[in-house]
Amino acid sequence: MAEVLVRNPWRVTAHVWHALFMREALARVTADRIAWFWLMAEPIAHVMLLVWVRTLIGHARLIPGADFVPWLVVGVTTFILFRNQMNRGMNAISANRALFAYRQVHPADTLFVRSGLEGVLSTIVMLVLIIVFTLLGQNLIPNNSLYVIGLWCMVWLFGLGAGLVFSVVVTVLPELQKFISMIMFPLYFLSGIIIPVQYFPQDIRYYLLFNPVLHLIENIRFGFFEGYRLVDGVNLLYPTWWILGALVLGLLLQVRYKFRLLAQ
Amino acid sequence: MIEVQDVYKRYHGPFGGDWVLKGVDFTIPGNVSVGIVGRNGAGKSTLLRLIGGMDAPDKGKITHHCRVSWPIGLGGGFQGSMTGRQNVKFVARIHGGNDRIPELIQKVQDFAEIGKAFDQPVKTYSSGMRSRLAFGLSLAFDFDVYLSDEATAVGDIAFKKKATKAFHDRVGKASIIMVSHQEGMLKDLCQAGVLLESGSAIWFDDINDAIKQYHESLGK
Repeated sequence: MAEVLVRNPWRVTAHVWHALFMREALARVTADRIAWFWLMAEPIAHVMLLVWVRTLIGHARLIPGADFVPWLVVGVTTFILFRNQMNRGMNAISANRALFAYRQVHPADTLFVRSGLEGVLSTIVMLVLIIVFTLLGQNLIPNNSLYVIGLWCMVWLFGLGAGLVFSVVVTVLPELQKFISMIMFPLYFLSGIIIPVQYFPQDIRYYLLFNPVLHLIENIRFGFFEGYRLVDGVNLLYPTWWILGALVLGLLLQVRYKFRLLAQ
Repeated sequence: MIEVQDVYKRYHGPFGGDWVLKGVDFTIPGNVSVGIVGRNGAGKSTLLRLIGGMDAPDKGKITHHCRVSWPIGLGGGFQGSMTGRQNVKFVARIHGGNDRIPELIQKVQDFAEIGKAFDQPVKTYSSGMRSRLAFGLSLAFDFDVYLSDEATAVGDIAFKKKATKAFHDRVGKASIIMVSHQEGMLKDLCQAGVLLESGSAIWFDDINDAIKQYHESLGK
């Protein structure tokens, strides 16, 4: 007989994370016959397609201090990291509902594990893109690598925080799911990903700067390109408060609504 | 020993919800198997979920000083898109049995006897196959108390015999708390009984008395 040992809570969590990681990774790779291929190809194709479309129709191609294509690649990939973290985190709970039959598995565990897995995948995609575009002759080698890595982790954490918050919100108030996806769509245009924030007039920029994602993306570009000029008002402190706020609020909500999330 | 102290539970749906359990209070001594009876919707599964720690009571407290399994039932416990083998591995891992996975898988396979289906997604299983797998999986671990929520209801005769035998083999080492409408099975496996009726629980030291009282309450 396999003995059920009394383990300390940290060990239990470590075991649960390992089990969930194996499950999530397997689910991602074996979802369908070409899942392992799509894993990498889909985000890369997404970026490539956007870059291609944007270079075709673009007239605002002059970015102070950066080449247009690398500038776009950095923005889109970083935004996809955030969006993936948030969306996949939001759905982590419903995707793993059956596994909450085991009291060792907390809803928040599924989010942490997903966030880790998705983050690693996104990071690999970023590295592949850097290699590909460098080989194509574009300048996509980070000027200040440490700064870029730090910002990348901040976006990662912000996505996790947003996932923690919204997973509770859509479980407790399912009606809000529709609004959240509606808000996500304009965020694409308001975060300076395909339209440079420099092109907006001063008084509109004032409102755009309330968006923490814009700050993070502009900053990561600043780390990539030597001589990239940040717009006045873009800083690091403002998104940092958002990240801390999202993480703390998310964790609090996860504790408060744990049993609501567990309920079938 | 499991103490259920003055437990209240209601479900908060979008349109409110009525009390399911209102002041349920009893103590299950160690090594005593208990059958829970009551009509549909009386709160039997809810009580089992609370004992299993999957849900928290709105008021009151449940304490256990022993290792309690997850509620083995028809509904949850398996991720439909994963194969039987993957589900077993998952459960083994969260219980810290990572290094004993082959041994556990062998044990579950021997008990469940579902053949090649073990490597098919669980969503393709019939309910009998699911309950075979669920039962085999929980029996592969050494719990003090097993919780069974109608897990044997859909099994064939061979499976019921097997499940009964497994518990008879463990008399003195492990007990079972079971929700069931199969009175033969209850009488065979349980000593004590709990009757759930309109939110409260009545404890019977003898399962036969509990079943008799249940029949009388239905007759009214």
